[in-house]
Amino acid sequence: MKRLQLQRWSSTVLSPRARTVNRLHQHLYSASLRHQSTAAPLQSEPQDASIGTNFEDPEVMRQVRSAHKRKSQLQYPSPPVEAATNSAKLAALHARLYLPSRLPVQTLARTLVDASADPNADFNNESLATLGHDLLTYYTSEYLLCKYPRLPLTVIFAAMYAYVGPKTLAAMAKEWGVDLAAAPGGEVDPGYLQFRRVDPGTDVNAATDDVKTPRPYANAAKWRKTVTSKIFYDDEFGDPIKGASAPGEGVTAEQASATFVRALMGSVYLHAGRPAAKRFFEQHILSRSLNISDLFNFSQPARDLARLCARENFEKPVAKITSETGRLSRHPVFVVGIFSGQDQLGEGAGASLLEARERAALSALKGWYLYSPLNVRVPSSMEEDGASPWEPAHVDLGEVIT
Amino acid sequence: MATSIVAPKRPFVTLPFLLPSWTDALALGSRRHQSSYRRTKQRLRVKPDASFGPSHQGRDHIIYNPPSSAPSVYHTPNKFLPPNDARRAMRPATPASFDASDLPNVHKINDEAKYHLTPSDIEEIRKLRLSDPMTWSRHKLAKRFECSPLFIAIVCEASPEKKQIQKQVLEAVQSRWGTKRRMAREDRQLRREAWNRDE
Repeated sequence: MKRLQLQRWSSTVLSPRARTVNRLHQHLYSASLRHQSTAAPLQSEPQDASIGTNFEDPEVMRQVRSAHKRKSQLQYPSPPVEAATNSAKLAALHARLYLPSRLPVQTLARTLVDASADPNADFNNESLATLGHDLLTYYTSEYLLCKYPRLPLTVIFAAMYAYVGPKTLAAMAKEWGVDLAAAPGGEVDPGYLQFRRVDPGTDVNAATDDVKTPRPYANAAKWRKTVTSKIFYDDEFGDPIKGASAPGEGVTAEQASATFVRALMGSVYLHAGRPAAKRFFEQHILSRSLNISDLFNFSQPARDLARLCARENFEKPVAKITSETGRLSRHPVFVVGIFSGQDQLGEGAGASLLEARERAALSALKGWYLYSPLNVRVPSSMEEDGASPWEPAHVDLGEVIT
Repeated sequence: MATSIVAPKRPFVTLPFLLPSWTDALALGSRRHQSSYRRTKQRLRVKPDASFGPSHQGRDHIIYNPPSSAPSVYHTPNKFLPPNDARRAMRPATPASFDASDLPNVHKINDEAKYHLTPSDIEEIRKLRLSDPMTWSRHKLAKRFECSPLFIAIVCEASPEKKQIQKQVLEAVQSRWGTKRRMAREDRQLRREAWNRDE
C-alpha cells in the first residue's frame, strides 16, 4: 500500500499541534498559524504546486478529499455538526447514559463544547447549561425543602452543594467516562469535552473583584454577612456570585465538566420533555447517597435545645444518666438521655458525663431538624398528568435561632 | 481464683504434667483430645434466645434482635412530631411504670433561677467589679449575690486592665507547659470539636 508522504502535505493538512516537532516549519508558518491552539482558522494557502501526482488515481483523490474535509474542519473552533454522526465516542456516551432517543447526537455534541472553546453562542453549551442549572437547582431545592422541612439554612446550602455543586457534577462527568480534549478545535472528535484550559501557573482560587455581586459593601472586609442575606445576594450554594469569565480566559476541567452536565440536563429537558428530565435528575442526582446528618456542626447544642423547648412550650430539657459502666476505671462509658418531662428527646454515649450530655443534646437537636413528613410530594409533581390535588407541604418554625 | 481451687480436685489422669513423661505417649493424647472436644461442645450448648426457637407455632414472624447501638437520628422523637403526623398514634406510649425523675441527674446541683436580684443589686455588681477587679472576681461576686458566674458575665464586663493582667497570667502559665501537656490540651480541644460534629 502506498504511504502518504506526510511532509509534503504538512503545510495544509496537518494541524499545527501535530507539527510542533518540526521547528523549521514552525518558523516558516508562524506568521499565519497559532501554535498553541487549533482554534485559529487556517489561511487559505495555495496548494503546493510541487505535488506532481496523477489526479485520476482514486487513492490520491481520496486523500485529497479527506484533506479538503480536514481543512474545512479546521476553519471552525469546534467540530462541525456533521462530525457528530460519525463519532463512535459520542454514540457510546449516548448509549451508556441511556439518554432518550429523541435527544440527537448533534445536541449531545453541542453540550460538550464549552464557551471557552467556541465563543459563538449558537454552537457552545452556555444556553443549555443555564437552563440545566436552573432545573437542577430547582429540583434539588424543592426536594430538600419538602423532604426535610426543618433543616437550617446552612445545612441546606451544604446539601445543595453536595447534590449539584460543581465538584459533584465534575465527578459525575468523570464517572460517565467523558474524556477531556487536550485542546479544542474543529478537527477534534466531538465525543471529547472541549474547553480552553487555564494557563499554567494561574491561581485558580485567587480572589477576584466581585463586581457582579449585588451585595452592598461586598468588598468591605469587616462587614457582617448574615446567613439570611445569602438567600438574596448569593448563589444557591451560599457563595458570592462570580461574574462570567472573560471571553479570552480558559476554565478549569472541573468547571467545564460541571457545565457539560448542566447542559446535558438542559438538552434532555428541551428534546425529551419534562418527565424525561425529571427521571434523568432522579436517576443521576438524587440516587447519589448523601447523609444529611453528617452536615451538621453545632457549637452549643445544649443551649439550642433549651431554646427550642422554650419556643415550642415543652418542659425544660433535663439530662439524666440512663446507664453507666466503669466510672472509676480508665475507660468509663456513660449513657445520658435528655428528657423533657417523661419523653426522651435524645440519647448519647461518651467517655465523660459532659461528652455524653453534649452528644445527647446533639442527637435531640438532629431529631428535631431531620424530621421528614410521610408521603413527601414536591410541587413539580403537580405537572404530571392525573396528579391528585395539592396538599400544602409541611412548614413550621424550623431552625432554632439563638 | 476458681480454677486454682478446682484443679487439685480433678482426677489425677487429667493433669498430665504430674505423670511421668512416658504415659502421655501411650493413651493420653487421644483422651485429652476427646475431653477438650467434649468441653467445647458443652460450652456451646447454651439455651437459645426465645426468638430463635420454633416457639411461634408455625406462624410467620419477624425476628428482631437489634445490636446495642445509638438510636438513629432520623427517628424523630414523639414529642417533635407535628400534631397531624400519623406516626404519633402508631408508636407505643411510654409505660406508666417508667418515671424519668427516678433516674440520676448528670449534674449534682440543678437549681432553678430565682430572679431575686434588683436593678440596684446589678448596679452594685458593676461598681464592685470595676472598682476592685482583683478582689471581686466573677466567682466571688456570684457567691455574694447568690447567682451564677454566667449571670455576672452577662451583667458586666471586666475592665481592660484586668483583662490585660489575666492575659499575661495565662501566657506565663502556658509558657511553662512542655510539649506533652500542650499536645494533650490541643487533643482535648480537637476531641471537643469532634463532639459537635457527632464523630
